[in-house]
Amino acid sequence: MSDTLSYLLMAWSDPQLLMLTALGTFAGIYIGAIPGLSVTMAVSILVSFTFSWDVNDALALIVGIFIGGVYGGSRSAILLNIPGAPSSVATAFDGYPLAQQGEAGRAIGLSTVMSVVGGIVGTIMLASAAPLIGELALRFAPRDYFLVAAIGLLLVGSLAEGSLAKGIFAAGLGAVIGLVGMDPVTAQGRFTLGQVELMGGIHYVVLMIGLFGVAEAFYQLHNLDSPVVRQKVDKILPSFAMVLKFLPLSIRTSIIGVIVGVLPGVGGDIAALMAYDHAKRTVKNPSRPFGKGAYEGLVAPETANSAAVGGAYVPMLTLGMPGDAVTAVIIGALVVHGLNPGPMLMVENPHIFYFTVGNLLLANVFLMIFGLMGIKLFAKFVEMPKAVLIPLILVLCVVGTYSINSSMTEVYWMLGFGVLGYLLKIFGFQMGPIILGAILGPLMDTSYRQAMSSAGDNPVELLQGLVTSPLSLILSAAVVLILLGNTPLLKKLKSKLSPASARG
Amino acid sequence: MFKSLLTGAALGLSALTMALPAHAEYPERSIQAVIPWGAGGATDNVMRSLTPYVEKELGGKFILNNRPGGTAVIGSTHVMQQRPNGYTVLLGAENPQLYKVLKLADFDYADFYPVNIIGQNVVVIAANADAPFNNMAELMAAAKANPDTLRMGSTGAGGLPSTVSAMINAVDELKVREVTFGGDGPGITALMGKHIDFMPLSLAAARELVRSGKLKALAVFATEETPELPGVEPITKSLPAIAEYLPWGPFWGAFVHKDTPDDVKQKLVDAYAKAVANPEFQGFLKNFGAQSLNLNGAEAEEFLKRWQSVTTWSMYKAKAIEISPDSVGIAKP
Amino acid sequence: MNKTDKMLVGERTFCVLLVLTSLVVFYLAYQISGFSSINSPGAFPIGVALVMIFSAVKIGVELIGKAKPDCSGWLDAFQQFRDTHFPRRTLVFGLLAVAYLAAIQWVSFYVSTFLFLVLSIVYLRKGRVLNAILIAAVLLVLIYLLFSLAFSVYLP
Repeated sequence: MSDTLSYLLMAWSDPQLLMLTALGTFAGIYIGAIPGLSVTMAVSILVSFTFSWDVNDALALIVGIFIGGVYGGSRSAILLNIPGAPSSVATAFDGYPLAQQGEAGRAIGLSTVMSVVGGIVGTIMLASAAPLIGELALRFAPRDYFLVAAIGLLLVGSLAEGSLAKGIFAAGLGAVIGLVGMDPVTAQGRFTLGQVELMGGIHYVVLMIGLFGVAEAFYQLHNLDSPVVRQKVDKILPSFAMVLKFLPLSIRTSIIGVIVGVLPGVGGDIAALMAYDHAKRTVKNPSRPFGKGAYEGLVAPETANSAAVGGAYVPMLTLGMPGDAVTAVIIGALVVHGLNPGPMLMVENPHIFYFTVGNLLLANVFLMIFGLMGIKLFAKFVEMPKAVLIPLILVLCVVGTYSINSSMTEVYWMLGFGVLGYLLKIFGFQMGPIILGAILGPLMDTSYRQAMSSAGDNPVELLQGLVTSPLSLILSAAVVLILLGNTPLLKKLKSKLSPASARG
Repeated sequence: MFKSLLTGAALGLSALTMALPAHAEYPERSIQAVIPWGAGGATDNVMRSLTPYVEKELGGKFILNNRPGGTAVIGSTHVMQQRPNGYTVLLGAENPQLYKVLKLADFDYADFYPVNIIGQNVVVIAANADAPFNNMAELMAAAKANPDTLRMGSTGAGGLPSTVSAMINAVDELKVREVTFGGDGPGITALMGKHIDFMPLSLAAARELVRSGKLKALAVFATEETPELPGVEPITKSLPAIAEYLPWGPFWGAFVHKDTPDDVKQKLVDAYAKAVANPEFQGFLKNFGAQSLNLNGAEAEEFLKRWQSVTTWSMYKAKAIEISPDSVGIAKP
Repeated sequence: MNKTDKMLVGERTFCVLLVLTSLVVFYLAYQISGFSSINSPGAFPIGVALVMIFSAVKIGVELIGKAKPDCSGWLDAFQQFRDTHFPRRTLVFGLLAVAYLAAIQWVSFYVSTFLFLVLSIVYLRKGRVLNAILIAAVLLVLIYLLFSLAFSVYLP
């Protein structure tokens, strides 16, 4: 027990580790804020960089970057409507409208506090129930991944403002873009138009930067001459009462974050969108309508994507399996440092587990400090003249896209997606469903193929599997319920029944 | 005054640029090293561990660049297209040797110069610890009793599991459902959750799970037991005929463009040979569950040729590929 | 949604384009492996393409009953569309952006970025050249420090 405690407090008591965690968190915030620079990239560079370091030092820095980076994406989402990372796409839905109403400072303040809440809930769940949650993740068969992806895609219903058909079309378009490249089974090219460069597919961050960054830059050209919104910077820190009011919601969305984060191949990006959807369904009286600057629409994704960090660590620490791309690189780092990540890690090197837990908590403390620092300065960023801001955004989009895969072709694609996004915006399409389709389309395709292959290409056997496994049954029921909820049939039913039964 | 200053500067500058190539020693600037696989994968891990030692030996800086996608076609193609000056190095795995027969691309490692074949991985056939079969013979028997019902984890055409199963099918019959995953990681997770029945894996990926009892190894893909997995039978015990393809394993290597100047090649070869031999890196490889090879020159070319020939012909025999390997110039083993 | 809405200029054309796009997607999806198997590389893409066709048609159906936009003939509609969504400023900026991307490979990243920033800021603000040069220089230094030094991204 005292051992455990000393491992937990290791990062808190050692000045060097304390400093490295702080440094990591600080750097992470800015890495995360710049679209194209990702935590995965930063961590993999650190693996070579920290090669000769002590393993604890390296891990402290990495944890800091991870926590800071996941949060950092919200900065640019709120200020510029360009999510710094896919996990902040949902943050832009309500964060950017807040900034346009002069509340950028408050939005950043709230997202900081809520990220910390999510991060702490995630860490507590990691510390208290890691083996249990790890086992749960193993229960997910390919058909269950398929159902999770289906549930995710059904979010289109709540993401699409206005016409549902437009939302579905956008998601389909996103899915096609996501499917470009080699078929995972036969390595045959799909939608590649005979281009070798397209065989590797189009990274969805390229799509995201184009749709949000470039399209927004073009859109803003119309407002070049309108006066900039003066930002209110007096009330940055949300009041205690406000935090308390959002606490039930944030705990629910944190749990969503952890569970989604545990599943390999599904991460903070989907967790954040699911949490946003959950908030939209359950919060009856948001501070403002969703999509127009509701605080709830900011709270949900920010807690979920931070909580997903704790979730991603679960399979990594208990089984040596990555929960997402970042933990995959961290596993690599452990290997390089001569540790053997796997189920025996907890037994042979128990300090890694508790050290990580303590370190995650510490990083969240630093996140609170650094996140609230310099907000006034950042809010001023929005007040920059548009004539300067717009070219800057475009250059950032170019550099960001290029740094993903060092490919000029992807930069051209990015610009193309920007123009496409601008056109779609004109005709009332939303960008959210496209990204959703691009992330979930390939997941749905591979899990569908896996499920089919597992059932020997026999649809009947597949359906039997859906009904006989309890987990699949629950997920199928959820799909059916959401589907019904999105169709007019249920709404008619609801309006006939008493309003008391109207619960999403 | 101003004009003369300008001409002076121009003269000086041109003299400098002309003088540079003559005097400068390779490497005079940082070298771009392309890893055609994603960050955190086995290839990435090996290369990121090795590179600091190479940098020390060569006295230059490497910029590691992950260019994943398309079974490493994207990254390898990129290196092919760069100027052959030794400033772009490919740090890859075995995959390009199968491009021609899988019709993924029209080049293979014969179009590169092998700087070093760093090491190779041992393959094990792994199953869930609760699986009803305990060795390869029992697995084969179970597959024959109910053909096309057992589920094998795979990583797609040209991946390690499908190649291994092709080799088995070339000498015997193993009819299974092939379930394709995005990589070792998701496949192993499914194996632990009993959503698939078995999966051929690299020792590096499977060892910790076998050691902890979550998975069991049915056989090692070799003619003898491997010291890392004592008590696990070699595959030749149940399938003696497969010995003709062994030893076999996925490998890692460093490559440059074929037309790179010889002195540059030599410098890289020396640096890599010393770096791979470094005891610290050897310790890493051992801990990683891989075998060191450290081959260069004719030895490396011989190794590549044999690997390609053995693999493609066994795949052809098992009908895993449509075109005959000699139609793309690969001789029979 | 609300049927009394006016149709946007060019919305019908755009809708036709959507249907055409989804048909092309369907064709490409069919090319992958035809209707060979329920578990083929092309199965899921065909499904997605069908969903796209249906939703594109549905978007078209939603237009029926909406009031037509105030414009006379194709040419007028096109001009109206261009004036509202692609005024000269947007077009010039778009062209600058395309030229910038093309220039990156010829004259290196830093030179082209510097030129693009200076030109576009001067154009959009209608003047203040020195200030624009200063801003561009500061940004380039930042990019160099962050991307080239800290992240060792190899910029062209």
